[in-house]
Parts: sequence; structure tokens; C-alpha cells
Amino acid sequence: MLIHRRHALGLMGAAAGSLALPGLSFAQSQRRTVTIAVQKITNNNTMDVWNEQSNVGERVFFPNLWEGLINRNWMGDQGGVPGLATSWKRLDDKTIELKLREGVRFHNGDEMTADDVVFSFSDERVFAGTQPDGGETLYADNFKPKTDKELPAGVPGVGRRLWPALRGVEAVDKYTVRFHNASPDVTLEGRLIAFGSQIASRRAWDEAATYADWANAPVTTGAYKVQEYRPDVSLTLVAHDDYWGGRPPLAEIRFLEVPEVASRVNGLLSGEYDFACDLPPDQLDAVRNTAGLEVQGSTILNHRIQVFDKVHPVLSDPLIRRAMTHSIDRQLIVNALWDGQTKVPAGLQFEFYDDMFIKGWTAPEFNLEMARDLVKQSGYQGDAIPFRVLNNYYINQVSNAQIMVEMWKQAGLNVEIQMVENWGQVLEDNDTRGIRDWSNSATFNDPVSSIVAQHGPNGLQQQQHEWTNVEMNELSNFMQKSTDRGARKKAFARMLEITEREDPAFQVLHQNCVFTGMKSDLNWKAAPAFAMDFRADNWNAS
Amino acid sequence: MLNYFVTRLFRAVLTILLVMTFAFVVLRLSGDPASILLGPDAPTDSIAAFRARWGLDDPLWKQYLAYLKSIAQLDFGVSMRDRSPAIDLVLERVPATLALTVPTLLIQLGVGIPAGVYAALHRESVADRGVIMLSIFGFTIPSFVMGLVLVLVFAVTLGWLPSGGQDSWQHAILPIATMSVGGIGILARFSRSAMIEVMGQPYIRTAMAKGLSWRDVVWKHALPNASVPIVTIVGFMVGSLIAGAVVVESIFSWPGIGRLLIVSVSNRDLAVVQCLLLVIASAMVIANLCVDFAYGLLDPRLRAKAAAH
Repeated sequence: MLIHRRHALGLMGAAAGSLALPGLSFAQSQRRTVTIAVQKITNNNTMDVWNEQSNVGERVFFPNLWEGLINRNWMGDQGGVPGLATSWKRLDDKTIELKLREGVRFHNGDEMTADDVVFSFSDERVFAGTQPDGGETLYADNFKPKTDKELPAGVPGVGRRLWPALRGVEAVDKYTVRFHNASPDVTLEGRLIAFGSQIASRRAWDEAATYADWANAPVTTGAYKVQEYRPDVSLTLVAHDDYWGGRPPLAEIRFLEVPEVASRVNGLLSGEYDFACDLPPDQLDAVRNTAGLEVQGSTILNHRIQVFDKVHPVLSDPLIRRAMTHSIDRQLIVNALWDGQTKVPAGLQFEFYDDMFIKGWTAPEFNLEMARDLVKQSGYQGDAIPFRVLNNYYINQVSNAQIMVEMWKQAGLNVEIQMVENWGQVLEDNDTRGIRDWSNSATFNDPVSSIVAQHGPNGLQQQQHEWTNVEMNELSNFMQKSTDRGARKKAFARMLEITEREDPAFQVLHQNCVFTGMKSDLNWKAAPAFAMDFRADNWNAS
Repeated sequence: MLNYFVTRLFRAVLTILLVMTFAFVVLRLSGDPASILLGPDAPTDSIAAFRARWGLDDPLWKQYLAYLKSIAQLDFGVSMRDRSPAIDLVLERVPATLALTVPTLLIQLGVGIPAGVYAALHRESVADRGVIMLSIFGFTIPSFVMGLVLVLVFAVTLGWLPSGGQDSWQHAILPIATMSVGGIGILARFSRSAMIEVMGQPYIRTAMAKGLSWRDVVWKHALPNASVPIVTIVGFMVGSLIAGAVVVESIFSWPGIGRLLIVSVSNRDLAVVQCLLLVIASAMVIANLCVDFAYGLLDPRLRAKAAAH
């Protein structure tokens, strides 16, 4: 066995440590620590689920730190499984009652009760006095912080997007809560699974001097608790031994922010990191070809799309937008840029919609002849169509844009890439806005979490005045309020027809996927998500 | 002499003010912090609330006056990301950066200048050729290439050193080595040129003709005269102690000022970027001011010229 100098130093350090710390429990020493190199720990430098609604946030929060009443089945079908609630039932179309799991301990030792659930959906924690379902909402004029504990400005809006009609939560008894909605909603259970609807300790919030203090290490019920968070540097989670789901298998999980992909790969190859996340496809062979390492890749609940601005003079003609959607050979892009590791989805929908999934629907067919014919019918004169592109905000974004421009060219369309630096420039509403890249997630298992939330009347695309459609908006309202599942499914199918065929609002390109390099002997499985599950069921290393 | 110093001091203050103003305007015209920080999926009412909270919907001139007023009160603002005071975030990172840049500077000075002087004094020798070749190699290789090569050799292949992070003193070795190489090359080249030029001057011939030892000629006549251009370069290096490790800090995941700058600029965390630029500009200006003062001390002709004016 080859022992390098660094290893020898480490061994000596470990020996010294074992002499110096005789009090360390035997059980604790049996559990290992893992080090995970990530491109980014969080975007907003907080551990708050309402303030850090990002893919990177999902990775450090779930399922190890934050838990909801109904948890997402991260390693399975992504549907709901009992979490901090053991059962739930509908009282009517607007009300759901949940029985809480007894004996759940927060990281501060307190037992979780209905009071903590009420707090977690309160004005103080999320909604900041905003009214449900089209009532009085968050206006800039009346939102001025009064104390340091005031919520970040974006939180109430994010909370209301997920819970637009929630009137409040009622504590029926110590272990029973009721969620009261202002309007009928068949997706209440789904909203409880979504990113944000997790439970925090009321006492820990009350005791924190400022929001920043609280958000740096929120007290939750997860299997691991925050030991230290150094924004932009590292996050250390340690085992919460009173975890209701059993003793966590790891002593410590350490996320290190390593922005350069080459550095993450090198650290994995040299053995310093157990995991290297956010690997682009062109780096996979470097890991795969190294003994003792492997790559785990999985598709996630997120589709890459291109959004059309139909206010643009050329794109105002739906024939042009339709031609664009039929010019793209999506499978070729998946094979060329993604090593065939992801897939072309069945439009803007996800299999975990279950009975709301529209079987037989597909992404627009690649048909160059049809595309050329549509261009001809439109009388297109070759005017430039701008395509705003960020420098690889999404993996392979620039290469993908270049390939698509060439494909559009084959159909007779003159698309010009405009490199921009940030989202403000991407969304800037002026004459040069035409096409832009985006990705759409489904936060819970119903189409309102995606097509309605992102392309409906309150979605970003319409709020940015890029696209609108009267029928689509009527269907969006219907989807949000109707409880007739058959009619809702029919409405969803029609929405796909409108947004992807008749009056394209966007074109779906491929499902996104993530690649994680890791030590093979860890015997750990990646979830089909950014989340990394380090609970006992997913950890079998010796 | 006083006039010489006062003029330069005034220029220094004006430079810092210009940098602050430029940064203030450009940052606000090149992207909306609300869209960037809250992300592409943020609800429009969240964006509006964010802008109102941070005064971004006020006219630019009003924002600028408020900024100047707060700076005058030594209030450097608050980070939009986590609401920590910007100056705390910046000062927290300074030691980490100095832990790289100060040893780097010392190595650059300790190796670069003697190598250049030695090469000049042994012109056309094998050593001279070797110094020229190595110095060109040093300053033409980009630090991101050098860093990755060093990691590949010393961390991945040999396993002697860690590839990144800041957990121990060993973690600093590769970043310091990466940064030192370029500076050594530059200093060696400049020192060599300066010494060659000085050694050809009539006063060196005079000193040698009057029987001074070779050592005295070099130490008492050549080196002081060659030091003026070298001091200029060293001034730049000292000035960039705070901001000179942007690329290397990213490659080696070193949590210093450089990484904070990249993250803050990409997030348009305005108060932090402005505070960083103020600190960086001040460091650069102070270093250059010191160089100017050093010129005055090193070169009597400059003092005389200033006095004549």
C-alpha cells in the first residue's frame, strides 16, 4: 500500500486526536464523514427554504435538513409519503386535516407540535400580511422592514405563489392541524410536498436575534442539523441523533463550495472529496475511467425549454414559432451534448403527474420539410430573430444554442445569438427580445405546479409580457379551482395543444439531468433530483 | 517637496472617488439585482418588493447621493443576499487573501530580483539565458493553466498536497506557487533590464575607474539607480495584494477577496461590490502613492524638480 506524505500526516493527526479526545464515544467514531464538492452551496446565503428556492438549495436541504408534513419520496416516484404527518384526510374541497407524528424532536430538543406547524405557515414566517386568493397582496409601498426579524422582501411573494389561497392553519389539538383554503383546490396535498412547505421550530425563531441569525442555522426536524455555515465556503451538517426516522448513518456531511469544475474533478481524483457534484457530460469519462470512482446520473423534474416573445415582429406570427419547434432534432442534441444520458420529454409534463399525465403527447416532431413549408407560408423575409443566451447558466447552454441556430438555419430561419450576462438582461423588455432559454420544474405532482405556474396568467412569461392567450388563461383558472379530475385532465391536454402547437409559447428541448462523481465503495444511490439522501435507508457503506 | 506630496494625495483621493462613481453607475446599468438575486422564476410582486426594499426604484441620482452620504458616515451598506454589513463581509475575507498574497510577494521579491540582477551581471552566460527562458515561461503561462497543472501533478498524481480549500497551511502551498511564478518572471525581466541599462552608464565606468570594488559598484551605485523602475513594478504588486488572487482563489476554492468579488459581481450584491472596489482601489492608490513618495526619496532629481516648481 502506497502511503503519501499527506496520508501519513493525516494518520499521525488522527492518532494524536484519538489520544487527545478519549471522551469521544465509540459509536460516534464508527460513523464516517463525507465531503461533497459542489459548484454552489446556496444562491442567497441562507438556509431558509422560502428564501433559497433553487436547485442548489434543494441539494443541501432535502431530505437531510428540512422536512414537511408530507415528504417527497426522493428515492422513488417523487410523490408524497408520510413525513411529519402520519395521515391526512379531506374535510371538504377547501380543507385538509393532518395528524402529526408524535415524538418528533427538533434539533433543539423540543417536541414538534401543531403550534410549530401553525407558525411555519404564518404571516410572521411567510406571508407578511398578504391576503389569499386575489385579495390584498404584497405592494412595494407598504413593505418596509421594521425590525431585523422582518422577512426578506421576496419571501411573501414566493409563499403566495405556492399557497395563493391559503387562509391559514388551525391547531385542532397538540397533534392535529387543519389547512383552510379560500377556494377549492385538489392540489393541497401536493402543495404540502413542495419546496417551502417544511416545518421549523417556533421557539428557535423567537429566540433568534435577527432573521439572518435564524436563517444561518434554522432549527428543523431533519436527520442532520446545521453545525456551521460559512456562506460561499462550506456547510457542515452533523447527525441529529434524536431523529424520528432512526439514527443517521453519518457523523457529518460537509459541503464545500468549489466553483471550478476541473477543481471538483481533481479533488475527487485525488481522494479529498467523496462526491463531486454538477459535473458536465464532457468530464464524466475522467471520473469513470478512474479505479474506485463512478458517476451517477439521473434525470430530474426539470425540462429545458426555449421561450418565445410573441410581441417580437417576426415571432408574432405563430407559423414562425411552429416552424422553429419543428426544426430542432432534439434527440440529436441529447446524444451529442448529453451522451444520451437524458431524454426528450413528452412535452411540458412529468410522469409523476400520474393520472394527470397525458399519454401519447410528445414534443414537437422534428420535420424539416414541415418547418420549411411553415416558413414559406408565413412569408418570412429573413429578418433576424434575436436569441438571448447566458454563458452556460445551464449546462451546455452555449453549445446548445449554437446547434439550434444552425438547425433553424436549415429551415430558412435567421436566428442571431445575443450573449448576455444576467437574468435582468435576458428578460429586459425591448425590441431585441425574441427567444430565451429557461427551464421549468414541477414542484408537486400536478400541472398547476408547472404549465400554469410558469405560463399561466400569473406565470413569469405572461408577467413579462412575452406571450398571452385568452383560452390558456381561462383554462389556467379552471385548473386551479376545479375539483373534477376528468375535466382538469382534458383542460391540461388542451393547454399543451395551445402552448406547444397552435400558438407556441415555448418549445421543450430535453429533460435536465445531473451527474455526480463519487467513490464507488460508498454504496450510495443518487435520487432523480438535486437532493442527496443520506438517511439510513440510502446508506450502506461499511 | 510638500507641493509634490499634496498634488499626489489630491490625485489619489480623486481616483478613489472616480472608481466609486464608475462602479456605482455601471453596476446599476448592467443588470437588475432583484432579477439576479431572486432568480428567473421569482414572482413579479417579489421583484417589486425587493426593489422597494433596497431603494432600487429610486432615480439613480438619488441613490448616488444616498450612497455618498452613507459613505461619508462610514456606513458601507448591507449585503442584499444575507443582510450582513458589507464591510464585515469584506474584512472577514482580507486575512485569507493576504495569507496567499503576502508570502507570494515575498517569494517574488526574494527570487525575482536576485535572479534578474544575477543574470544582468552575468550577461550572455548560460545562467542569463536560463533566467530569460524561465522568466518568459513564468509570465506567459496563465495562472489558471499553471494552477491546474500543479494540481494535476502534486495533488492528483503524487498526492503530496491538497487540491483546494483552506483547511491547513498545506492548502496554501499550491496557490502561492501558482501566483509566485508569474511575478518572479516579471521581476526577473525588469531587474535584469534595469541593471543592464545602469551598468552601461558612465558613472559606473567612473566608479570602477576610481578603483571601487565590484561589490561596492553594484551595491552602492548600480542597484540604487536600477531600483526606480523596479519600485514601480513592486508598487503594482503591493497594490494588488488585496485583489490579486481572483483567478487563483477560484481554482483553489480559497475563500478570499477574489472569490467574494466574483460572487458579489455575478449576484449584483451592490453594497458588497462597492465596498470591495473601494477597498481594492484604496489599496492600489495607497501603494502607488507610496511609490510616488519613494521616487521622491530615491531620485533627488524629482525632489529638485518639484521644489523648482
